[in-house]
Parts: sequence; C-alpha cells; structure tokens
Amino acid sequence: MAASRYDLVVIGSGPGGYVAAIRASQLKMRVAVVERDLPGGVCLNWGCIPSKALLNSAETMELIRGAAREHGIQTDEIRFDFKRVIARSRAAADKLSKGVRFLLRKNKVDYIEAQGSLLGPHTVALTPVAGKSPPPAEALEAERILIAAGSAERLLPGMTIGDNLMTSKEALLNDRLPGSIVIIGAGAIGAEFGYFYQAFGSKVTIVELEKQMLPGMDAEIAEELRKEFVKKGVTVLLGHSYQSAKRKGSGWSVGLNANGSETTVDADAVLVAVGRSPVTHELGLDKLGIELERGGFIKTDESFRTSCPSVYAIGDVVRPPLLAHKASAEGVAAVEIMAGIRQPGFDLLSIPACIYCEPEVASVGLSEAEAKRRGLDVKVGRIPFRANGKAVAVNQTEGFVKIVATRQYGEVVGCQIIGHHATDLISEVVLGKTLETTTAELGRSVHPHPTLSEAIMEAALAADGEAINF
Amino acid sequence: MSTEITMPKLSDTMEEGKILRWLKHPGDQVRHGEPIAEIETDKADMVMEAYDDGLLDEILVHEGESVKVGAVIAVLRSAAEQARVGESASSAAAKRGSPGPFTATKGDTSQSAENQALEAEQAETQSAEAQRPRVASVRQIRRRRPEEEPAEVSVDKTSFSDVSRQSETEPGAEQHAGDNSSRFHPAVSAVQSAAPTAIAAAPPPPLSPTQTRGQETSLSAENKLRASPLARRAAEEAGIDLSQIRGTGPEGRITKRDVDNFLREQQLFKFRRLIAPREGLPGSREELSKMRKTIAHRMAQSKREIPHFYVTIEVDMEEAVKFKNSLEATEIFEEDITYNDIIIKATALALSRYTRMNASFENDGIVIYPNINIGMAVAVEDGLIVPVIHQCEQKTLPEISRAAHRLISKAAHGGFSGDDLSGATFTISNMGMLGVEHFAAVIVPPQAAILAVSAVKDKPVVRNGQVVVGKTMMLTVACDHRIIDGVVGARFLNEVKRFLENPASLLV
Repeated sequence: MAASRYDLVVIGSGPGGYVAAIRASQLKMRVAVVERDLPGGVCLNWGCIPSKALLNSAETMELIRGAAREHGIQTDEIRFDFKRVIARSRAAADKLSKGVRFLLRKNKVDYIEAQGSLLGPHTVALTPVAGKSPPPAEALEAERILIAAGSAERLLPGMTIGDNLMTSKEALLNDRLPGSIVIIGAGAIGAEFGYFYQAFGSKVTIVELEKQMLPGMDAEIAEELRKEFVKKGVTVLLGHSYQSAKRKGSGWSVGLNANGSETTVDADAVLVAVGRSPVTHELGLDKLGIELERGGFIKTDESFRTSCPSVYAIGDVVRPPLLAHKASAEGVAAVEIMAGIRQPGFDLLSIPACIYCEPEVASVGLSEAEAKRRGLDVKVGRIPFRANGKAVAVNQTEGFVKIVATRQYGEVVGCQIIGHHATDLISEVVLGKTLETTTAELGRSVHPHPTLSEAIMEAALAADGEAINF
Repeated sequence: MSTEITMPKLSDTMEEGKILRWLKHPGDQVRHGEPIAEIETDKADMVMEAYDDGLLDEILVHEGESVKVGAVIAVLRSAAEQARVGESASSAAAKRGSPGPFTATKGDTSQSAENQALEAEQAETQSAEAQRPRVASVRQIRRRRPEEEPAEVSVDKTSFSDVSRQSETEPGAEQHAGDNSSRFHPAVSAVQSAAPTAIAAAPPPPLSPTQTRGQETSLSAENKLRASPLARRAAEEAGIDLSQIRGTGPEGRITKRDVDNFLREQQLFKFRRLIAPREGLPGSREELSKMRKTIAHRMAQSKREIPHFYVTIEVDMEEAVKFKNSLEATEIFEEDITYNDIIIKATALALSRYTRMNASFENDGIVIYPNINIGMAVAVEDGLIVPVIHQCEQKTLPEISRAAHRLISKAAHGGFSGDDLSGATFTISNMGMLGVEHFAAVIVPPQAAILAVSAVKDKPVVRNGQVVVGKTMMLTVACDHRIIDGVVGARFLNEVKRFLENPASLLV
C-alpha cells in the first residue's frame, strides 16, 4: 500500500473532504481520506447534525407547551429527561458518521485513521492517533493533496474549557441542563443554543459585542430575531464586550463592558460561541512554504490551489463563510477543476446561510445595505408572513421575506428570510440566483396555495411594486 | 440549389470569426475563389473566398458581428433557385392547414434545433424592442435590412392578422424546402410557435415592455435553456443580438457574464482601432487582444505540458553566403532567395531524414506526420502569426521562396486564406534580422520541436589552423523530450548544419 501512489489524498473527512473524495472517485481518481477524529468531521459529529437534533427536541418542547394556549389541547405537567435529549442527538450523529464511512467504502475511497500532515509536495505523513487503529503506512504518496481540515471552536484570551465553561462541542455532550447560562456571541451558534436552552427552561443571557444579533446579517432581520428572543424570555445584551469569567460558587460570574460601564452576569454555565478558526497547525504547511492569509486561512487561487501547486485546499481552512455546504460545493469544484471538467472560479454569493433557531433565519447573496455599499442601485421587496395564508393558518406569522434586486434588470442579488421554515424556503431563491433569475420570473412562477413559499413570489412582485396580497 | 456559406475554420485554434467587411453584397454574382468577405480570427484578418459560383442571396451575419466556426453567414443561390422561391411560398399557402411538422427539421441535427431556439429568441427580443404586435415579421426586419432584401416573398410587411395565417402556411413550406436552404425556415417555424401565444396575450393595446417580457420568457423550453433571464434582459437593453454571444454556462447557456464580456470585447475592438502604437503606458493595464490571448494560452500550455530541452550549434555560414550571392549574381531563379528560404529548405531536408522531429505527442503515442509543413513565426502588430508552407518535402528552393514571400506579404497586408495559417508540423522562428546572438523558442503545441535562428555574424573562426574572420550563425532547437531524445535533437541539428555548410545540396 505504501509503495502505490494515489491520485488524490484528502486530509479531513468532513463535509468538504468526504464529498470531494467521493466526487474524485467518481471521476476515476484513486483516492484516500485521512481523518484523525470521526468520519464526517465537525458537521456530522460536533456541529450541524447533533445541534439540529437538539433543536428538534426544543421545538417539540415548545409545541407541547403551546398546545393548550393555541389549540386547546390540554396536557398535564410537562416532564423531560435531558439525558435522553442529548443521547438522541449523539445517536443521530453516530448514525450519519457510520453512513459516511459506508459511502466512502462504497465509492472505493480508502479511509485512513491518522493525523495527516504534509511531508512533501506529494507526500502525506501519517501520525497514529491514540485509540485508533494504526495507519497502514508512515506516509502516502499522492499526485495531488487536498486539505479539508476544517475549523475549530475559537476561545477568547484567558479562557479555559471546563467546569461548565463550554464551547459548542462540550455543550453537545453536556447532559446536565444548566439552570442559567451566559452565551457569549449572538452568531448562528449562540442563537441556536440560546433557543435550545430557553426552550428547556434555562435562564439564558446572550451577550454580543456588535450592535445587533447575527453580525453581518441584514439588520432588520437581526432586530426581528432579537424581538422574538426577548418575547421568549431570553436576555439579549448587545454592544457588550466580554471582560472576564470568574468562578463564583459552583457557577460563573461573567464580567462585561458596555460603553465603559462594567457589569457582571452570574450563571451556572458559560457557552463561548465567538466563531471558529481554521485548523492549520499540525498540517506541516510551513514545510512546503504554503502561505496563509489574514485570519489564518490558507491562501488559494481560483482553482483552490495553494502556493504549492500540487496541494489544494477547500472549506473552512480556506475562507469564510464557514459552512458545511460551502465546503462540499468547494470540494466538488476543486476536484472537477483538477479533472479539467470545470472552469476555475467559485461564486460565494450563491451560498445560502441558515440559522435553525425558531424563528429560523436564512439568507443568500447580498443584504440591502451590503448591496448599496457595493454601489448597486437596488430595490427591495418585503412581505411579512402575517400576509401569508398558510402562516396565519398554522399560527406562525412572525417574520418576513426580503428580496433585494437590481433596479436595472431586476436581477435577484440577495434574499433574507426570518420565519417558520425559512431554511427550507431559501433554496428556491438559491436556485433562482444560480440561474440568474430576475424578479419577473420569481414573481410569475406559479406557487402553490396555501404555502409559505408564496411569500417569496409576493416579495419578488413587491420589489417591482406589484404585490397582490400586501 | 442554394448553398449555405459558413464561417470557415481559418486556423487550428479558431473558434469564432468576426465579419469585418462584406466584399460582396446581396444580389452580387459570386465566382468560385472570389473574395467575398474579410474576417477577423484569433490570429489575423483574413479574406474569405467563395467555394462555389452563384448569386449572393442573403447575408445573415453583418459587419462587426462574430459567429462560431460553422455558423451560416450567408446564402448563395443559383438564378433558377431565385426564381423558385416565389412559388414555394405560394404553394405553401395552398397547403394551409396541414399539420405543423415542427419535428421535420428537428430530426435534422441538434445544431439546427439550437438554431431554432436562437432565432426564436431573437424574435422575442426584437418584438419587445419593437413594442408592437408584429411578432413574426420583426425578425425579418432585423435579419434582412431592406437594402439587402432580395426580390422574394417574405413575411416582412405582414400585418398582425397576417402573422397567424403565415404561421399556418409555413410548416408546409418547410417540408417543401427540405433542401440545404432549410436553415432559414426552421427559424420561421420557431417564430410561429411563439406567435399564437403572443397573439393571445396581445390583443388590442400594445403591451408595456415589462409585461411583454413576462410573456416571452414562458415561450418555449429551448429558449430558457439557452440564456439566463438576466442575460436576456441585459442583452435586450444593450441592443445585442443574443445569437452573437457564445455561452459559457452549463450546456453553453448564455449568462450575464457572457453578455458583459461580449460588450467589453466590442468596446475594446473599437478602442483598439483608435489608439495606434500598442506600447503600454507605464502604470496602465491592457486587456488582452484575441491574438495575445491565444499566444498567452498556447505558450503557457506548451511550457506547462511539454518538457523542453534545447540543443545549440554554431553553423559556419561562409558557403551559404557565397551560395546566396552566386544565386543573385547569376539570376538563375526569378525569386530573390533569402537566408530564411535557405534555412527552411535545409530544415526540410533534415526533417525528411529525422522524421521524429516532424511529429506530435498524442495520447501516449507518437504521430509522425506524413508531410513536412513548416510554419514561420512572423511578427505583426501586437503579436505574431505563423503562416505555413505546406509540403516542403516536395518543394524546390525557389518554390519555397515563392511560398514564403507570398505569406510574408500577406502577413504585412492581410488577406490570409485557406490553410495559410494552419497545419504546421514544425516551426522556425528567425530573429536573424534583429541581430540576436542566440535565443531559444517555445514549441508550438502539438509540434515536436521549434528551430530558433539567430543572426549571421562576422566572427573569428579557425580555418586551416589560422584565425580568420568568418560568418557564423547560431541555431537552437527546442525539442519535446517525450518524443525526442538528446541524440536525435543533436543529430538533426548537425544535419541542418551540414546542409547549410554544403549548400549545393539545397538545389535538389
């Protein structure tokens, strides 16, 4: 095995790496994937999938709690086993991780458990990982190498994990529900865990340095989310910077600073959700002189090639947004470019971003403010879900749809949605963007009634000042 | 009989060509071999000659427009055919009501199906532009300007109510016109399929542009595949005919970027004519011309894919100089034989002995060419072109000289035709006139080698144990190591040297 040479060795089996490996195998490359943790990477094991399982439990909880008020369905006192909630999430992750292993085998991709690092332009060193089967060789030879090592939770200076000071990874395993929790960071992870703990009855405080939740997101959407969170009983502190976390009894006292005035918030637990950093250490990048960019991302060209021509990189190690589906799409693109069946280049503006708290938030492309900042002359169509029949029928009327289109051609350059099933609704606009749709086509495509998707059609019409139902 | 005139492939790398000027106009009699148009390719401006006799009936691609190689640019008809056209329309009218065999032409080729879609698209764009309910006729207005209109029946001036009648008659006409002039007719039938929809949507008052758009985008499935809604709208506003644009999206779909690039190209083309010297201003950025793009692409590809190695040899040119002078003095040939001609002849002779130098690396195999076609790199404004002397193995020195002079003069004045720029199996780059001591050239893929020729210089040489002033020249051959090994390269070069140092051999 050691003597034979692979066409491609992928470092990392997350949604970027394993998808790239399967695509490469489909394109008749001989492929190996090197993984130090579990098949499927952070997404399947420590991110997207287990957190969605938890959120599903939270949603169920809210549904039951609202049953009497909304539907007149009476329930006795609601009890729950938090350990089961966590265990269910782990089971989902485990099942999908095994699924990835299966898919790799089915596609004849060699799966190797080891820490992979660059030894030369065509050599990947394999370092054994404790508790895993020893690697079959000391190194693999490869025509090309693809780095898909992903990202890891970021900590703030002076923080150490432990004693209920957690990142999302620890939170996913923590089966003792904290009575109160301070969440530092109101991005996607902070919002999702905030919603989750709130649903199960924790007292939740979310702290954000920026002046809005979901920094970078359309401000109107972010404000709507904040209102919904406050309605649920979450305390949202915007414009507060984290100063310190000190032990206080069995819990924590978190020091904050807002415009020079110091405050503290006490809680049983602290969740740090201040973003993720690319995993670039331990990869031997410096050995090949592979250059990094600002933020520690690996520098690549339009073909996903690093400064070493036989080494490629995709996904979280390369550039934001740090999203699983972006990594998968980049993985496929990189491999197809290697195979010469695709032109270099990748459109980041057609990558949707989704947040799975309730109400859900989804967006693609440019926000109104960002479009204007780029000098585009845009028009915006905005439709609230309370003007949508289905939303009223199922009593999910919070939120709205915004479509941002150029004034010149009606080109759809962005869409933001907050509301029930927003994450499912966004795909229509993603497809539309990929096909270079204008508001004319979105507005004239017949949408089934009654569905939430009608709000997209109406928002497109609204951009042209032609909305019928609003 | 009518004949389609298509955009010829005038060079190996040519994908599309632009009509610079029509030298013949509709109604003009055209003879085989007569120049009919000037065409800009990725390499040079060339003259296109007619392959057949006939009457130029219709020009489909106007001056300044680009089309892909193989696209129909004009139609040539005999006088008899010209007369028959009038009948065909009326006989078609007699068959009114026959089922519309749209598939009759669809079965033809996928190419024509694509054409239909394209042309239907034009009809749409045009109708929106015209903003009046003359759906079928508008295409004609654009396609055949009145001054180009041959004397034949067309739907041009039909009123709106006539359009529906026309749409019933045309399918019949199409069956009738099942000859090779049918390229024109599918378009008409594609328009008809559009017509009823538009009629239904139109009734009395004219539609506003936005409303019209909405209707048009739902016309037919083929249309949607060919260009994105955004691209279509951008093209419409810029007044560009979508059929001029090459799509780079999935399945050749035209995207907004293609429209943007097309517009930029057009602008650049105009701009390029305005500024004469092509030296870049310090600090400026210059968009690549088609030729520069081709050079950039091919040379980079060569260096990327072909493992080059180089062999250099010094040639004593004393005898060659005497040989050239004696040819001049005796005027034995009509032609003025140049060093370049002598070197081409010597190279051709050497190539006929070392066939691997006249080869190409293909799919892990080596293809030895049956002929020796020598390309000469010739500098032109902002680039170089490589005109080709074909079948050098069969040509005498004066014949080579004549061919070379013809090509070089064409390079200076334009007017390449046929295979003047394609089919080279070996290339010579001569910088002797620039006085260079020595240089190496980049192989032109898929050839196996290129010979770099430096200047003939006065140099001290040793002859009969004495240092005297001699005339020498450096030759460097770059070889594709996948095909040629050092020994072969060296032997070939020695062979060229031997012929040059014994020039009587060049008279064979």
